[in-house]
Amino acid sequence: MNPRVLPAHPMSRRQMLGLMGAGSVAMVGTAACGGGSVGGGNDDEPAGNTSGGGGGGPIKVGLVIPQAGIYTPLGIDMQNAWELWLEQNDGMLGGYTVETVIADEGEGPDTGVPAIQGVLQNDQVDVLVGIVNSATALGAADAVTEAQKVLIISNAGAAAITGEASSPYIWRSSFVNAQVVVPMAEYLAANDIGPVYVMSADYAAGQEVVAGFIAAFEAANGTIAGQVLTPFMTTSDFQPFLSGIQSSGAAATFVFYAGGEAVSFVQQYAQFGLKDSIPLYGSGFLTEGGVLNGQQDAAIGVRTSLHYSTEIDNENNAAFVEAYQGAYDALPTCYAVQTWDAANVLNRALAQAPDLSGDAISEALGGLGEIEDSPRGPWSFNGQTPEQNFYLREVVEGDGGLINSVVEDLGVYAQP
Amino acid sequence: MIVDWFDANLVSILNGFAIGSLLFILAVGLSIVFGMMDVLNLAHGALYLVGAYLGYQFAGDTSSWAGFLTALGTAALVGLLAGGVLSTMTEPLARRPHLDQALLTLGVALVVAELLAIFYGNDVLRVVAPPGLNGSTKVFGDTYPTYRLALIGIGALIAVAVYVVVERTTVGALVRASVADREMVSAVGVDNRRVKLAVLGVGSSLAALAGVLGGPINGAGPGLDERVLILALVVVVIGGLGSIKGAFVGALLIGQVESLGRALVPDLASFVLFGALALVLIVRPRGLFGAPKAAV
Amino acid sequence: MRPRLLVGVAVLVVLAMVPLFVAPYETGILSRILIFALLAVSLDVLVGITGLPSLGHAAYFGIGAYTAGWLSINVTAEAPVPLLAAALAGAVAAAATGWLAVRSSGIFFLMLTLAIGELIFQLAQQWESVTGGSNGLFGIPAVRLAGSPLTLAGFVYWYVLAGFVIGYAVLRVVSASPFGAVLRGIRDNEPRMRSLGYSPFRYKYAAFVLAGAVAGLAGGLLAAQARLVTTADVGFTTAALALLAVVIGGAGTLWGACLGAALVVLVRDALGPRLDGHGPLVLGLVFILAVYLLPRGFAGLSALRVRRRPA
Repeated sequence: MNPRVLPAHPMSRRQMLGLMGAGSVAMVGTAACGGGSVGGGNDDEPAGNTSGGGGGGPIKVGLVIPQAGIYTPLGIDMQNAWELWLEQNDGMLGGYTVETVIADEGEGPDTGVPAIQGVLQNDQVDVLVGIVNSATALGAADAVTEAQKVLIISNAGAAAITGEASSPYIWRSSFVNAQVVVPMAEYLAANDIGPVYVMSADYAAGQEVVAGFIAAFEAANGTIAGQVLTPFMTTSDFQPFLSGIQSSGAAATFVFYAGGEAVSFVQQYAQFGLKDSIPLYGSGFLTEGGVLNGQQDAAIGVRTSLHYSTEIDNENNAAFVEAYQGAYDALPTCYAVQTWDAANVLNRALAQAPDLSGDAISEALGGLGEIEDSPRGPWSFNGQTPEQNFYLREVVEGDGGLINSVVEDLGVYAQP
Repeated sequence: MIVDWFDANLVSILNGFAIGSLLFILAVGLSIVFGMMDVLNLAHGALYLVGAYLGYQFAGDTSSWAGFLTALGTAALVGLLAGGVLSTMTEPLARRPHLDQALLTLGVALVVAELLAIFYGNDVLRVVAPPGLNGSTKVFGDTYPTYRLALIGIGALIAVAVYVVVERTTVGALVRASVADREMVSAVGVDNRRVKLAVLGVGSSLAALAGVLGGPINGAGPGLDERVLILALVVVVIGGLGSIKGAFVGALLIGQVESLGRALVPDLASFVLFGALALVLIVRPRGLFGAPKAAV
Repeated sequence: MRPRLLVGVAVLVVLAMVPLFVAPYETGILSRILIFALLAVSLDVLVGITGLPSLGHAAYFGIGAYTAGWLSINVTAEAPVPLLAAALAGAVAAAATGWLAVRSSGIFFLMLTLAIGELIFQLAQQWESVTGGSNGLFGIPAVRLAGSPLTLAGFVYWYVLAGFVIGYAVLRVVSASPFGAVLRGIRDNEPRMRSLGYSPFRYKYAAFVLAGAVAGLAGGLLAAQARLVTTADVGFTTAALALLAVVIGGAGTLWGACLGAALVVLVRDALGPRLDGHGPLVLGLVFILAVYLLPRGFAGLSALRVRRRPA
């Protein structure tokens, strides 16, 4: 028996694999020539520009938005608003010419955090704007802080971002999850609605909303009929939980869902007959934007609280809605306004900052007073997050589709 | 007492039957092929997804019978073709271990799912039930979506049809014989490849149909194929490989776990599902109703 | 054996020099390749050498990652504590589950490991206080070496490389040892091995635990490099990709799994964005081609069933 009988295949396979291996290393190597990753103490080179305040020159902005998965529609809104601002301002922010690099945050932190790291290290952006998913924001907070670049979050509402995990570089032009529901909790308690059943998806934002609502509602002497957190992103059939609502004796339901889950939930809420017997209240995202198209009649009458509605009566909003509709043939959403405002504050901060370093921009942001020309009404930073007006909205039939009409102004709230 | 409990959970129980019906339609093809040829078709979930997207294509945003029926018909055809293609693709591997065929189907599943995502985008798309089935009905005082009631009926019909074909026709006898003893069937002179082609074709067709029928409940979107495949695997393993009765009982059982189980003990439901799967695989790999067979 | 050793040393030297010339982002990708490669190699011990095809190996990878992460946040991030804990956690989990799993074989083993993987995935989702649930375990501090944290991509890379070399060396030694020979014997012809007096269960079990330990080690490296552990790391997709890597690369050769892993990570992370994130399409096609055209690549898998030896 000759043990040295080597079949011909493995040799050529090895050669092929060896070539592939060498090829891949070569590919990575040539793509990354120079610089190295251990030199000089600083991983990231500051992108060129150090001229004095508003001195002009280029600025690279990383726009982190979802372009895949259930939050894609939000990403589209955010991108639209960003581009609309640039269009109306000659493509400039604070005197600098803007180059936008778009990073796809995907559906969660496993795709989002690497995308953010890529845009920080690979594209060497000066500022980051965006992020829809709270978990992604939390996961990337360290990387952004260590890179010393400013991030203006234009959606993700996790409390810890401007709370425990806070860093001077991370700002928000959006909201804090619990902040959106406190006004509704106080309103419902003040109107003696009865026992409320609270429900959301089991992830950072959902958990904060449920906890925030319950805390505020019980503090205002309301009673909770029950609560549940549904498995996040894998629940398309809410029936088991809807049964739970019915058997709890609740007089009203308060929920938070966004995107695809909002569509499924509101539809099924009506399909299973709860809509007529147990009125549905929610955090504004439940009926915001594209989801109304999916929900159709099932959404009519649903009341939500949010810091924006296309029906807010002020001139900035009227102008904004008109411009947005003209450019994109769709109504803007809170996601659009948040990104619009991010551009707004960045514009003001850059005009005042001496250079493009994270510290300078961060300090300039802190020095901004009230932002009086926002479509959502006047607001200002408090703890690096907007302190702003909240509105009680109700879904009604408007001309050309469903809209969130403003029923009441619930007052100004800061992050809880 | 018992009546009260039933009353309170009626909707969940009904829902369990609806999910069970869908699972049966999906899993029966997988079970027969697996039992017959020991080929684990991991592309089965992708076939469901194809059906779901076809449902969106024809019955997407507007409710219409024409659209829905077209979707069903197209899905059945596409499924049949796909099954045939899969059968042909796995032929060259017939002499190799069954595992290789399973891995091949895994690759096919990846490719199909990605192609669908490229074509239809990454969003979760809606499928609308046809008019008449679009609303809700009152069942013993509880409101329940009409479409899901219809689904229970359809599932029962298909179960009966499959049962009749398999138990009462010659073709069915061939299938049953192949499940019991493949070598003997080929020794008798029947070409196993033809039987495999037929079974894969019909099984895949049913999977695609399940995708269309499940559309109004689950929609169509990335990741659905994985979730659905795993559920189908659980049904097949627990119910028994190659057994129609097993697939039926297994599907109803899993349907109840997914529905009643999630309503009563939401945190434990998933554990029950996979724990049961693991248990059955360890203790009785051929499943509840699977034909006992010589070691594979 | 000599030329092979030289090639191995040369490759190691090249790998070690990477951070001196390569930018941080790409170094990060290479770190991730090394981590995934270690996972694939540990899976190869199961699939290629012992003939146990597992679709749930990511479970031990994830458990190791969560352990290292949790430890780094709550106790200490001083190397090598999180790494050792990760490997231990992987071993313990593999010991607990493998005891039941290795009683089955072939397709049933495949499905059983899938079920176990799913159970652990659900556990990770639900046990939020420890794993962070679907938000993931974020805020993992950088690994500390003698007190100072490793934040530069290059240093992290060297740390990962060291872990990889240790893990790979252990598996290489085991594979070349008499123990490894017995495993291959079991893969090729289990009844014969039993008749020769070996207990297949014990050897398969040992291999399972070893593979789990190294997978846990790879997970510990992930926690140090990505500083974020999510349920995706413990789930079916990661497990399937690892199996893909092993199969494409050539089961049973250990270093083949490394190349397969490199291909998978590059296609997904480097090529993926250029294809709008549709990297898996390319992977699926490569996989199908590999199944058809590279039958020897399945040398390990092909021998799963009893081979009739020519008289």
